[in-house]
Amino acid sequence: MSDRSHEIPERWILHTELLWAFGVGVLVAATISIIVFTALTRNINPPSNVERVDPKTLHLSGEFAEQNLGTVVAADGTVTARIIATQFMFAPHCIAVPQRRPVTLRFASPDVIHGILITGTNVNTMVVPGYVAQVHTEFTRTGELLMPCHEYCGLGHSEMWANVQVLPAAEVKPDRDGRVTCAQH
Amino acid sequence: MPADQPRAADNPFEEPDDIDEAALTAVLRTVPLGAAVLAGGAVALLVLAYLLIYLWIFLPRGVVG
Repeated sequence: MSDRSHEIPERWILHTELLWAFGVGVLVAATISIIVFTALTRNINPPSNVERVDPKTLHLSGEFAEQNLGTVVAADGTVTARIIATQFMFAPHCIAVPQRRPVTLRFASPDVIHGILITGTNVNTMVVPGYVAQVHTEFTRTGELLMPCHEYCGLGHSEMWANVQVLPAAEVKPDRDGRVTCAQH
Repeated sequence: MPADQPRAADNPFEEPDDIDEAALTAVLRTVPLGAAVLAGGAVALLVLAYLLIYLWIFLPRGVVG
């Protein structure tokens, strides 16, 4: 075409693209800033813990042996819940935790990859055989929260769930060994 | 014209171009603005949804790490 009078000058195109790139850059920077700000001021981070554990001997000895599962309040007041995720159940099936106190949840799997989330909270992690999945959190509301497996782990996957029972801190009464169990309704 | 001969109307490139050049120039000047408004609006909606989810759902769900 010989008549090019209606074509847009290239500098306009460049100007528009630079403007768009600047806008996208601002958005990316804002998103990263929000993530960093949340991590620093609200203590909300992606759970990250690299800790090996032997899945073949998980249930025989050590931290995840049957007698060590569930919630324990240590002498210094720290609350730790140890849970095994296995096809197709969680052990224990109910986890009691105190309200408004820092809680450490530790998960391990002896068989396949599982995943957990606790409804209404930001707790969400994968449970990979050979590793301990650890999440620090604080439960703000009392009540029963559902904790389903959210990673397809086999034919019984949909039946694999547990309860997290958040109790008022005053109602959490550890036994001699510091163990806390769910209140029976 | 024989029936087996192609006619001018069969080939759009051979159609006479009766577009007003001035009108075409005016349209092409506003097209990038329209594209920018459409793309900008779509991105703005996504950012708004992200911020609402962040403020109303993510933050109230509390500490995790």
